[in-house]
Amino acid sequence: MLHKADYSAPFFVAAALTLFFIGGILTTVVPPLIDASWAKPFENSDPTKGVTGKLVQLNETEQKGRKIYIREGCWYCHTQQIRTILADTKRYGWRGVDAPISTPDEFVYDAPHLFGTKRTGPDLARVGGKYNEQWHKAHFRNPADLVPGSIMPPFPWIADNPEEFKALVAYMQTLGRAKNWRPDNDYEK
Amino acid sequence: MQKEELIQNVGETPVAPAAKRSDSIHDDTTAKIFIASSVSYFVIVGLVALIIAAKFSMPSFLGSVQYLTYGRMRPLHVNGMLFGWLLAADMGLMFYVVPRLCGVKLWSEKLGIATGILWNAIILGAVVSLVMGWNQGLEYAELPTLLDVGVVVAWIMFGANIFGTIATRKYNAMYVSLWYAMGTILWTAFVYLTGNFATLFTTGVNQANLNWMYVHNAVGLIFTPVGLAIAYYFIPRVSNNPLYSHKLSMIGFWSLAFVYVWTGAHHMLHGPISQWLQTITIVFSVMLLIPVWAAVYNFISTMRGQWHQLRENVSLKFLMSGVVFYLLTCFQGPMHSLRAVNAIVSKTDWIPGHAHMAVLGAFSFFAIAGTYHVVPLIFKTKLYSEALANWSFWLFLIGGLGFFVTLWLGGFWQGWQWNNPAIPFIDTVVALKPVWHVRLGSGFLMFGGIITFAYNILATILGPKGEEMEANVAVA
Repeated sequence: MLHKADYSAPFFVAAALTLFFIGGILTTVVPPLIDASWAKPFENSDPTKGVTGKLVQLNETEQKGRKIYIREGCWYCHTQQIRTILADTKRYGWRGVDAPISTPDEFVYDAPHLFGTKRTGPDLARVGGKYNEQWHKAHFRNPADLVPGSIMPPFPWIADNPEEFKALVAYMQTLGRAKNWRPDNDYEK
Repeated sequence: MQKEELIQNVGETPVAPAAKRSDSIHDDTTAKIFIASSVSYFVIVGLVALIIAAKFSMPSFLGSVQYLTYGRMRPLHVNGMLFGWLLAADMGLMFYVVPRLCGVKLWSEKLGIATGILWNAIILGAVVSLVMGWNQGLEYAELPTLLDVGVVVAWIMFGANIFGTIATRKYNAMYVSLWYAMGTILWTAFVYLTGNFATLFTTGVNQANLNWMYVHNAVGLIFTPVGLAIAYYFIPRVSNNPLYSHKLSMIGFWSLAFVYVWTGAHHMLHGPISQWLQTITIVFSVMLLIPVWAAVYNFISTMRGQWHQLRENVSLKFLMSGVVFYLLTCFQGPMHSLRAVNAIVSKTDWIPGHAHMAVLGAFSFFAIAGTYHVVPLIFKTKLYSEALANWSFWLFLIGGLGFFVTLWLGGFWQGWQWNNPAIPFIDTVVALKPVWHVRLGSGFLMFGGIITFAYNILATILGPKGEEMEANVAVA
């Protein structure tokens, strides 16, 4: 049947687009219609149903920090997703508590999404509250001072710019906090 | 006798009887613009590639300037190679191939020239935006919306010219390269709109799903089909040998048309996206073996009894090594879509190893082969130096293999370390340093390949031409 496409350009175009659109529509338009969790912000106040918490939108300062995070390309080396892999939950948990797995409802307000594809540095999905502002300042000035062997470059123009530094740290402290996963609320500021 | 008949039928094979070159109906100005500018970007962006590879070995290298940090240079490298070098080279070769397969002039040379100018303006705009950090934060879709609009306009102009040429064709039957050229234009239009415009109206996982549909299909439905159009044209043409099987090329094309678009979400395996969608993308990712093996079997069989030609012909060396890399990279792809393998290699250095084998090892090799073959023909001269071309091949091949193989091994090793939470993250970084040193060394070899290739092309373009040279070429 497709032999006709060897001779007729209009037939070819129709066939090539039809085949493409079957998969195209079923994998891009249909999934958000089927899976409501893609669009419903996380909210849980019942501890028997797992981690409690509520996803809130970023405030103005945090938004600004997120823009700096994008501008500097942090997301090329740091992912933001705890995958359904045991080692991910162990590695990115801290002080003896495992990190909860990332779920779609935690990212409803993210635009652009920053899930990332490459972990040249560690995942940051649950980094919010892990380090205090003092630590971040020293780390942005020269990461290898705090983490010997680190290949993250220094960002002095952020560490020494109080406004940008505050905004970026404010954003980073929100990461993973929709789920209030620390039993003793031991988040750093 | 049978071969003679095949040669007459353009629908079966692009081996047309050699016409006297002075009788050529083709103008080729558009092809010249695209090819010359793509080769220039190859050199410039190759330098950026070396810089970012060096940053892994020497983290403070060029790090004191905000505009030269890894976060700015990496998107410049990716976008520059994809759109400045490879897509522009592919478009240039289509401007050469399509009119010849149709037996008519390019539909509009003026429109083609305008497309070339617009394309260069977009690339220059992209360089400025990315260095300044005007980044939209979506992979492969970093460019500001204004430039995205420019790309859409340029793509419509390109499509109009190619479809216009095909609509006015002299030969009724359309050779397989024409299907791939048309498929590229049609699918790319929708894939690009999804990745650069539909993403603006969505958030979170929904946006990520569209983003990965675009990223995956930028390779699968842009560079793959246009790369195969080039391979299907130049492998028979350069070896002067009919294509092995028309039926196989149909199986390859139509299965690609159906299967590829389903697989975008495999970039989110184990991630925060619906499990059933992950399963669908895994099933279709494995099915990708069908179009790949059909095309590769066809290419390899076309060369039956003709492999000795690889000794003398640099274009064929690039083409057939590209075929092998295509086979390998498209075996990796389905395999690391399997959950068990993905749990090890995802997010590691394996991934750049895989991506480079596809975009550099397979599709850039095809484009380089086409450029080596076409430039002497359209500039009515002969290649400046066969020996230098041979050097460029071995530099690319050895540098490329060094890059791919160390990153796969390193990536696997890295993934195993990550899966043991007792190993601190920083130890897995320090462990990878030797891998990154080898990658930098391989980068120098590949950059040597780029320089010898670009110099050879430049010297060919600027070298002696004219009737005398033309007569020599026709005899050869």
